[in-house]
Amino acid sequence: MTAERGEEIRNIIGIYHLSKRYNEKFALDDINLHVANGEFVFLVGPSGAGKSTLLKLIYMDDFPTEGQVIVGPFVSTQMKRSKVSLLRRKIGVVFQSFRLLYDRDVFENVAIAMRVTGESSYEIKKKVAQVLTQVGLYHKRNEMPSTLSGGEQQRIAIARAVVNSPAVLLADEPTGNLDPEVTEEILKLLFHINAGGTAVLMATHDLALVKQFGQRILFLRDGRLQEDKILGYKGDLSQRLERIQKDPGRFGPGWNPGTK
Amino acid sequence: MNWNQATYLMREAFRTMNRQRAVTIVSVAIMSLSLLILAVFLMITDNMMLLMDRSKDEMKLYVYLDDGLTNEQMNAAYNGIIRMEAVDELVFISKDEAFAEFRAQLGEESELLEALETNPLPASFRVSVKDVYKETATLETLASTIGRLDGVAEVNYGKEFIERFSSITHAVLYVDMVVGLIVILSSLFIIANTVHLAVVSRKETIEILKLVGATNRFITTPFFIEGAFQGGIAALISLAALSAIFGAGRNAVPGLVFFSPDKAVIFVLVCIAMGALGSLAALRRYLRIEIG
Repeated sequence: MTAERGEEIRNIIGIYHLSKRYNEKFALDDINLHVANGEFVFLVGPSGAGKSTLLKLIYMDDFPTEGQVIVGPFVSTQMKRSKVSLLRRKIGVVFQSFRLLYDRDVFENVAIAMRVTGESSYEIKKKVAQVLTQVGLYHKRNEMPSTLSGGEQQRIAIARAVVNSPAVLLADEPTGNLDPEVTEEILKLLFHINAGGTAVLMATHDLALVKQFGQRILFLRDGRLQEDKILGYKGDLSQRLERIQKDPGRFGPGWNPGTK
Repeated sequence: MNWNQATYLMREAFRTMNRQRAVTIVSVAIMSLSLLILAVFLMITDNMMLLMDRSKDEMKLYVYLDDGLTNEQMNAAYNGIIRMEAVDELVFISKDEAFAEFRAQLGEESELLEALETNPLPASFRVSVKDVYKETATLETLASTIGRLDGVAEVNYGKEFIERFSSITHAVLYVDMVVGLIVILSSLFIIANTVHLAVVSRKETIEILKLVGATNRFITTPFFIEGAFQGGIAALISLAALSAIFGAGRNAVPGLVFFSPDKAVIFVLVCIAMGALGSLAALRRYLRIEIG
């Protein structure tokens, strides 16, 4: 989190001196950053800059070679593999390729995220209906994903990612396969989710898109964080920061990955 | 794992088998063939064991007595034998009983015996030996000890037969153990690989489940249930096929015996366990390598 936003801001993600090497080649090199509760951050960089690797390290599909990642109460250096599932329930992940279950209908694709947490059928029906309404797909709940457009499939993936009310949503090039109109639609949906208090960290190589929407932007190149700045904010930034500062976060009080 | 998860996973296992009917049918067919080989092997082993047990029952010592012994002398010989630790049962066969048995054995040719003026057969004891003593060396010692008793003319225990039987038994058991191990390992290998193929075909599903926070137990349970169910079905199919083979082979091999009901139940339970364990082995390996 940048200093001008105040020392008290609660961070949801803290990354300290993070490096990741594959066969002695740096994919990420000495990354330091924070993401606050309810913040929207674009992670920008060309292909191979390390964006996907950084997201993987945040949802702990992989672990750093050096340094550490902290997501809520989960610390990568103290993380047991058996506990990774608990972290995944607190974060949502969306990919360019949608990654849906094509042998199950729309409802079940979203419900699966709640099935793993052991929610009752009643709760699942209620929450999935609510989220599908939010993404505009409730009327297609009984259809199979393969019969839907790319934009609709991505909305299913987003619905699945947010159905458990995650503290943070990680999106890895979520608009990479979509045309400009649908891209805008998906971005608006992500902003809408963000407005509900979920922090969003979205990786993209599309700088034009980022300039269009404006937000905090992290520039990544050759595995190094080159810039961390606010390109422009379309909305009331002071109100937004006030909400960020008050929000105890979805991991609950008593944790903070850092206030630097 | 709570009740909601358990019921969902149970439903999910059967729903997946229904959704992927072709894969399930191929898996069950491969498992059935593999288990049929195991069942055939076990039935052959079972029959061989029965044959060996029956042959062991026939292991007896025939103690022929001198002619003209008094009752006291015969009693003394009887008491001398019955007191021996290895002796299980002792039956006295008088000269007349021996002659009657011989006549019965000869059947239609028993008329030949009319030519005899006296009964040439001696009185004897038929000595049954306790199972643990039915070894060549023990029988030889026992025969030698009985042979030294007063009034005993000769002791016969089919030495050559017992020696050959003993060596065949050991060879058969040795081969049986080696073949059994190979068949069981092959069956497990085939089941694990069949399940592994099913796991690979559901790689994307597993990765998505991991992504949304499913634990390894949540992911493995449906495979475990499917493996156990398919193992059970495959066991029943292989038993049915074995029964057909048994029906055809019964005439060719007289005395062939099918699995007893309790052995059939044990076979099905073992196959269920093999299916479940095969699934688990395949899945554990996959989860470790592909997802971690």
